[in-house]
Amino acid sequence: MPFCIFIEGQNNVIQSRFLVDPYTLSIVIDAMYKVLKQLTFLSYYVLLIWLVVSTTVSADQSQLRSASIIERTPEQFGLEHLMETLNLKPSDIGYRTDYTEPDSFRLQLISDLMTTPLGMIDYASQLRQSVVRGQPEVMSAYLFKDLAGAGKSKRGKAYSPNEQELTRPVNLFYSDPILNRLLSRVSLYLDIIIPKSTELAFADISTSQRQFLTTKFVHLLELRVEDEFLTPNQLDSVEKLDEEYAETFAEFGYRINSDPIVDAGLDCLKKLMLDVNALRSQIDSRQVSAKHLVNNTVTLPPGVDRSSYLGVQNGWAVGGPGNDYYRGDYWFILDLGGDDHYDLTYDSHNPHPVIIIDLSGNDLYQTKTDFAIASGCMTVSMLLDFEGDDSYRGQRFSLGSGYFGFGLLYDKSGNDHYDGDTHVQGAGTYGLGLLIDESGRDIYNAAAYAQGFGYVRGFGMIIEGDGADSYYAGGKYKDFLRYDQHYLSMSQGFGFGSRPILSGGIGIILDRKGNDNYYSDIFAQGASYWWSLGMIYDSDGNDNYQSFQYAQGAATHMTLGALIDDFGDDVYTGKGLMQGVGHDYSCGLILDRHGNDLYTAYDLSQGAGSANGAGLLIDNEGDDRYYVKIKKNTHGYGNPRRDFGSIGLFIDLGGFDQYTGFGQNNYYWQTDSKWGGGMDIERMDPDSAKTGGR
Amino acid sequence: MSRNFNRLLIYSVIVMLFLHSPIQGQSIKKRVDSLFVIASTGTVQYRDMEQPAKDSIAAIGLPAVPLLIEKLDTHSARERLTVIRILDSIGVVAVPLLVEALDHPNGLVVQRICWALGDIGDSSAIDGLMNVSSHNRWQVRSQAVRALGRIKNDRAADIVIEAMRDSIGQVRKSAAVASGQIMIHESIANLVHLLGDDFYGARMTAMEALTKLDSSMVLEVLADSINSSDAFVVSQACRLMGEIGGDVAIDILRQLVDSQADRRSRLSAATALLKADPQDLCGFRGQVMAQFDDRLDQIRLRSTFVTPDVK
Repeated sequence: MPFCIFIEGQNNVIQSRFLVDPYTLSIVIDAMYKVLKQLTFLSYYVLLIWLVVSTTVSADQSQLRSASIIERTPEQFGLEHLMETLNLKPSDIGYRTDYTEPDSFRLQLISDLMTTPLGMIDYASQLRQSVVRGQPEVMSAYLFKDLAGAGKSKRGKAYSPNEQELTRPVNLFYSDPILNRLLSRVSLYLDIIIPKSTELAFADISTSQRQFLTTKFVHLLELRVEDEFLTPNQLDSVEKLDEEYAETFAEFGYRINSDPIVDAGLDCLKKLMLDVNALRSQIDSRQVSAKHLVNNTVTLPPGVDRSSYLGVQNGWAVGGPGNDYYRGDYWFILDLGGDDHYDLTYDSHNPHPVIIIDLSGNDLYQTKTDFAIASGCMTVSMLLDFEGDDSYRGQRFSLGSGYFGFGLLYDKSGNDHYDGDTHVQGAGTYGLGLLIDESGRDIYNAAAYAQGFGYVRGFGMIIEGDGADSYYAGGKYKDFLRYDQHYLSMSQGFGFGSRPILSGGIGIILDRKGNDNYYSDIFAQGASYWWSLGMIYDSDGNDNYQSFQYAQGAATHMTLGALIDDFGDDVYTGKGLMQGVGHDYSCGLILDRHGNDLYTAYDLSQGAGSANGAGLLIDNEGDDRYYVKIKKNTHGYGNPRRDFGSIGLFIDLGGFDQYTGFGQNNYYWQTDSKWGGGMDIERMDPDSAKTGGR
Repeated sequence: MSRNFNRLLIYSVIVMLFLHSPIQGQSIKKRVDSLFVIASTGTVQYRDMEQPAKDSIAAIGLPAVPLLIEKLDTHSARERLTVIRILDSIGVVAVPLLVEALDHPNGLVVQRICWALGDIGDSSAIDGLMNVSSHNRWQVRSQAVRALGRIKNDRAADIVIEAMRDSIGQVRKSAAVASGQIMIHESIANLVHLLGDDFYGARMTAMEALTKLDSSMVLEVLADSINSSDAFVVSQACRLMGEIGGDVAIDILRQLVDSQADRRSRLSAATALLKADPQDLCGFRGQVMAQFDDRLDQIRLRSTFVTPDVK
């Protein structure tokens, strides 16, 4: 007899109600106690059997659940399967963190991924899933977490303003409340939060050390065309000077914490996007015209100092719907429309935050100075452009460059053109440099250290949405160390560190859709050098990747590189040390999940490990073509160094493929190397209709 | 020992005379430094000048050695490699000073000196190398054991066997390699144990080392190892037995294929068997293939005798 029932109350709250009186209840309990007492032994046995059965059943169910959750991806299956045939295991691809003395600049993410490099695949998927259209603040915050230093769980926070700062009086110039709310917010960040966060970031270093960052350390990221003409002695002097700068920086650099600056920028961005979207809605819904917004102002008596009024301070400008021209070193610009021309300058020795918001029009942004246009140099700099076919012409440290700070260039729509020299287009050093372009057919052009480039404690990234885009990096600074006629690119998902004392950063291009073209020369396209991570993740489209060397999933000297392409018939072309190559305790990976692809290389490529590194080429499906010139060090090759081998793996899991080199369809091979091999199999049973698949 | 000491004394006196003669010492240092810039330039346009510059420093001989040791703490990988190559060219003459420098306070320098001593391969360095083989820095231990292996003197056998139990995989790898180079037959059981090492470098080099040792002794230990619970030991042992060949090895492999052992072990044995007889002269290919009905196992086994169509 039930003595209480459970009913569902309001808001799905479970409530209990007694249906019997307490006296009846006590009789029932007493009777139950007597029965139980007589059946003590029996009940123990029953209980025991029940426990065993239920535990077994739940364990089985748990295993079943785990099996379904941990279902292997094709690439996981391929790796495990081939490695088993070669007497290897996936955990063999992993590196110690102490081959050389660990420095204070290593990022936790890189440290973790060096231990388990195959984790790059999951990391890329997580990045892809984190992209939210129209919300640059979400992705920026996601990337910020990966700037955590190794072993440093506590992150720096932005300066928190006190009540007096929050409630400071301002003189309103414009009448629109939404506009004023935006301007007040910007003022709070530009005048108080960001500068004070900057002070927090550099609180533990001296003024001269701070100056060192923009006068000396910066040389480590500058390339000089004339260097190719230097004599050996001059080259040695340049090299020694760079070493000296790196060593000097190593002595104090670890005391810098750029977290407060980046955090302040992210916080500002988050709130600013709400205000900007409110303003855009207001204009789009025709509640108020852009012209009315800028013209509807207070009337100031003659002789009043306008610079004390919000929106018209020195270095501030609010432009209307017409075509405007801005020239100089600005702190803040809000432009409500028109085809505008921005001719900007910036003095890196007197850093200050910059925010530029342009709501529409085909705009031209250009500069003749370094550190201008979305360049957070020891501060925050953001450029948000919402509409139009825009042209961005930067110099060095520009177009989404974070140098000891946070730089963001956000372009929501339009066919855009990005032009710059070095440390541009999503480049981060000791900070976050981000370029987000959500749609349009865009063109990226840079010399080096660009297009998703990360140096010491830095994260640089391009996030591209829709559209057939073109990326070009190189052609200016000759790689005179190796070649007469090839140029350094060090871009397009490239991570870089200064060997052996400054671990590097993270450089990534994430391109979601469109038939894209990637062109580069030396070091690019998901590559890295020295305790860094370089990556391209292209989700969709028939893409064309062309480079000469150290590219397309290449990692050299204790580092990580990956090129992952999900869909489309893609073309990978180059000379050598590419398409899945890892050199010197490094892991380079190329993973193509779908499509009929074409791979062409000359030597030491397509799944080649060198000097105890690991190189992996994995192609999950499609009728592919693999061409190489030198057969002895490609298609699953490892060479010996330090008296032991490397790991080279070539994996094709489906389709009817064509080879020059070791491979052939339905075949496992082990190359005459230390140690490597490949397989070309049909992962899914061709007769799977009968067998239920594999 | 006393002979080494006398040699060291004589060399030291010569070097002191060179270097402490102010004019001579200065001029040699200047010359070495100047040549070294060219020797280690690394750029394509000056590459032709590198080797002559290296040769010129090597020709200076003993007086250049202390100056080169000074450069061993360089941050540049290119410079480090250049120093070691020049020391190798100078050869045996450099050994006493290098051994003397093994007590250098910088572990990085010590590991690089071990490297150079290994490349030179002179037995007069054995005592010094044995002394640093238990250095607290694993890189030094690894390089010291490597060098002992290259010198190929069985005085180092105990040190090498001990190093196979080192907590660091790289040291165990160096020991496995050294064991094969010195031909330490007492290490066979240790090497077979290393076939299942967690570090692939140790696992694979142990197998290579075993191929250099007495095959009958190796087979004896391998025969036991195929019952190991470590899948890597079994599969590596199978592969090794296939490479060694002979009736005993083939019988063991056939028994394993026919046994109730797990699929992976049986497949490893089958693969080794088919590789050992690519022409199927013994005629057991068909029987072996018939034991495996999995589609991919079949392809894997077939791949052992199908000639690759390398274009």
